[in-house]
Amino acid sequence: MLSLTFKNLWARKWRSLMTAVAVVFGIALVAGTYVLTDTTNGAFDDIFVKSNEGIDVAITSRAQVEQQDGSTPAFSDKYLKKVEGVDGVKIAAGSLFSQGAILDSEGDSTGGGFAPQFIASELPEALESLEVVEGHRPEKADEVSLDQAAADRSDLKIGDTVQLVGTGKATPFRIVGLTQLGGASFGGTSIAQVLLPQAQKLTGKQGEFDQISVQADPGVSPEELRDRITEVLPKDLRVETGAENAKRSSDDIRESLSFLSIALLAFAAISLFVGSFVIFNVFSITVAQRTREFGMLRTLGAKRGQILRTVLIEGFLIGLVASIVGIVVGIGLAKGLSAVLSAVGADLPTKALVIEPRTIIVSLVIGIGVTLVSSLIPALRSTRVPPIAALSENIVIGGKNRLLLRSIVAALLTVLGIGLIVSVLASGSEGGNAALQMGMGALAVVIAISIFSPKIVRPAASLVGAPLERIGGLTGRLARENSQRNPSRTAVTAAALMIGLALVSFVTIFASGLNSSVTKVIDQDLKGELTLQGPGGFNPISIKAVEAAGKVDGVEDASAISFSQVKVDGGSKSLSSVDPSTINQVMNIEFDDGSPQDLTNLKDGQVIISKDLSDSTGASVGDSISVLSQTGKKPNLTVTGVMASGNLDLLGDLVVTQNEMIRTFGVDTAFFALLKVAPGQDVNTVQKRVEDALDKPFPTADVLNQDELKDSQKQQINGLLAMIYVLLALAVVVSLVGIVVTLILSIYERTRELGMLRAIGMSRRQVKRMVRYEAVITAVLGALAGLILGVIFAFLLGIPLESEGFTLSYPIVTLLFILLLTAVAGVLAAIYPARKAAKLDVLEAVSYE
Amino acid sequence: MESTLEANPESEAPQSSIVTATGLERIYGEGEAEVRALDGVDVAFEKGRFTSIMGPSGSGKSTLMHILAGLDKPTTGKVRVDGVEITGLDDGELTQLRRDKLGFVFQFFNLLPVLSAEENILLPLSIARRKPDKAWVDEVIERVGLTDRRTHRPSELSGGQQQRVAVARALVTRPAVLFADEPTGNLDSKASEDVLQLLRGSVDEYDQTVIMVTHEPDAAAHGDRLIALRDGKLVHDAPPVSADAVIELLKTLA
Repeated sequence: MLSLTFKNLWARKWRSLMTAVAVVFGIALVAGTYVLTDTTNGAFDDIFVKSNEGIDVAITSRAQVEQQDGSTPAFSDKYLKKVEGVDGVKIAAGSLFSQGAILDSEGDSTGGGFAPQFIASELPEALESLEVVEGHRPEKADEVSLDQAAADRSDLKIGDTVQLVGTGKATPFRIVGLTQLGGASFGGTSIAQVLLPQAQKLTGKQGEFDQISVQADPGVSPEELRDRITEVLPKDLRVETGAENAKRSSDDIRESLSFLSIALLAFAAISLFVGSFVIFNVFSITVAQRTREFGMLRTLGAKRGQILRTVLIEGFLIGLVASIVGIVVGIGLAKGLSAVLSAVGADLPTKALVIEPRTIIVSLVIGIGVTLVSSLIPALRSTRVPPIAALSENIVIGGKNRLLLRSIVAALLTVLGIGLIVSVLASGSEGGNAALQMGMGALAVVIAISIFSPKIVRPAASLVGAPLERIGGLTGRLARENSQRNPSRTAVTAAALMIGLALVSFVTIFASGLNSSVTKVIDQDLKGELTLQGPGGFNPISIKAVEAAGKVDGVEDASAISFSQVKVDGGSKSLSSVDPSTINQVMNIEFDDGSPQDLTNLKDGQVIISKDLSDSTGASVGDSISVLSQTGKKPNLTVTGVMASGNLDLLGDLVVTQNEMIRTFGVDTAFFALLKVAPGQDVNTVQKRVEDALDKPFPTADVLNQDELKDSQKQQINGLLAMIYVLLALAVVVSLVGIVVTLILSIYERTRELGMLRAIGMSRRQVKRMVRYEAVITAVLGALAGLILGVIFAFLLGIPLESEGFTLSYPIVTLLFILLLTAVAGVLAAIYPARKAAKLDVLEAVSYE
Repeated sequence: MESTLEANPESEAPQSSIVTATGLERIYGEGEAEVRALDGVDVAFEKGRFTSIMGPSGSGKSTLMHILAGLDKPTTGKVRVDGVEITGLDDGELTQLRRDKLGFVFQFFNLLPVLSAEENILLPLSIARRKPDKAWVDEVIERVGLTDRRTHRPSELSGGQQQRVAVARALVTRPAVLFADEPTGNLDSKASEDVLQLLRGSVDEYDQTVIMVTHEPDAAAHGDRLIALRDGKLVHDAPPVSADAVIELLKTLA
């Protein structure tokens, strides 16, 4: 029986290959994700191990609250003396390693996209891990060494000038050396090293270090020295061996990158889910077409189990081949993904591709598993073929009597799915868990629809087919009838497409809602006509830049806003600081308890909180709340007002004064600033003036008017949207492959019928058109269902976000365009099947049995 | 693409012949595996006559019909249908030929299950985008006895009724030639008789030309002329006398 399976597979190799394609994409994404993250993590491991070479003990501060950029607060340089005094310390030195900007003499950034740029201080030779490949280390105050990759990227040579920007004005330095870290790649990251005092001045960390590195005397083990040093230092400093530091840094990076692999694997799961529909369909049709063959095998004495086994082994083999191909494609994809990421600005460090055994095993298990599970129901159906089927023309097996069961299961799943979604909405919970629950609910609804859809196909296809009948006459009519002939087949094919399209329309609607919400907030709540922000809107800008902007002629007020992550009752919250004297001139904040006047009156030691925080902590005006800052301070702040929700949380959950922010929360840069243009002044003229004033001293500060601000926000949203589209395209392509395979199989089934049509005068062109129309009907059915589902999901998910100022908007034109695009995709999917149908030899078709 | 094929005025065939085949050879395979399905067949079919083609399995009778109908191409030889040389036509021209001049009835009825009886009958006209002649359609449907079954789908009809739909479908375009490939092969004797009477009637009443391949002596006896093939050669050509005589003839061929 096994050799029969092989022969069957071989005889239907094209069909089998097409079936395999349904799984290949998903597996490729699984394998690609693993290879990409393993490789990236490995590259980071390299970086951290190499940068800790020669360092026996590393001393850093503990961030009490994790910051969004992952930075840790600096600590006082007085501890260096204490460390140096510890017995067994051969050499100890403090250093800085802070985010900043490295610009060439034109003011252009040397980095790419989101990749960070670091300003670091020079360490003594023994502790320094960056090797000089050309030139020498900085020895004078105006000298800098730059990592070679960054220099190559920006075409900089020794002797050129770069500008370094920390928390103050841009300062020029002369490149005297090019460095590298033992050949390790940094991705898009660049590092500039200057002498310690310069680094401290640039980063605003006078008298402070980010790290103290220590080398032990011969005979003293790192562990022993670590323990000795720990004793003399306060608890908020972290003392580790070099190896421990490298390990922790790697782990931190792993954790912060894990969202990437989770997101990519989620898309792989979507693609595989869609693929399982395709596999189910192909096996169902194949089993139906082989009814006679199974009957014949039964008359020859084959047991039900043997029939089941032949079908399942086919599934296993297809899954195996698909997984292997998927793994190979995935390894290639890892490079592609990394290119995609660097195209959107996330240039990750790389090294030779890392292929762990886990990657292969997981890919194989998932690929084979999905194929087997999807082929199980058709395989079970094959066992119900009676021996008599060998002799009779048309035996239809399975099906009808299960309608009741189908309806019950579909109804239960719908109730369950909607229940899940509603329960999340009712409980008002938020965050990842709520989203996951909602996702599960949506999944249940999708499955319910797929189960029940055969019932919907007939009327829906009549509706969709009507215009085609008008255009195409008979061919349109026949195409429509053909799509209705086997409703469950059409339903499964369309449902596969529906899933992809539901997600596409969901994210499209959601992104459009996000765009319009942001636009609304900018229009209504930002009274400042100009916005000052760092590169890309992600990096902080100097308070001095804000002050300089405030002095420009025509600028009435310049109000800086800073952010820091803090903890309240153990939960991480976003805290902002404002300039009380100007905030009300540039921003429109509504209050639940209190008035905007409270912002003007805000004093050090006081805080204004959000409605959400007030609700969750029970704190109200007059109460005092304890806030843990990143530096470990725990001030008690008095609540003087409660903001209303509904402006996208422009100011986070807590608002304090600028002074409080610097003093208690250790943030001395602005996240952005709003400028109020004096009455009667032309905004564009003032913008130009501010740009000119800031260009030289603060080259990284961008001045945006409201339209530009909207555009920059839109760009970020749309950039993310584009990436999601690319990943969802995989699932959509899989479902289109499903249309292709199903059409081919249907044509094969209708060989005789097509022959008859050709014999009585149907032209090749008409045959092609008929097949094309059928594909369009299926595609549009799936797209319509997907669009409707997407709208419903977006609507449901939008409800809990409404209180935060999120308003949905329906991009009708875009959605119609997506519908049109899907119809076109249907036409493309039909190219090959249509050609095949048209090429059918009339004679063969008529004498075919 | 709606251009009709015009009759060739330099036709060599006698005026009364609607289908002529000259020097037909059809060879399948090569070398050792070579099969001569047709081995030099010359035959002409007159207008308004009912011809049966018989012969044992492998005699080449089906191949002959397929070539006459333009479904297969001869290795050598020529076929002329209603004054048109068909052996050199491309697919588009053959499609046009089938629309204009040919009608088919198959063994397995070959109706579209999704269309009603009447829609199936009108199918060749819809395909060619021609307006049906209402009176003629009604007459054909009346003639095949399906007036009260017009809206039924094939699955709601008996085998005999389905084949009568197929005959009506072939007649509705008033083809120059109606080809029937084992039209009774899947029917019981009563239904077979009905279908054969219909074919006979179309010849007698509408001067229809019918060429039918069959292996049933009873069926062959309904024709005006019986030709028989053996090993790709024409071995018998005469009017059929009776079913019994046909059985005797087949015995000598086997």
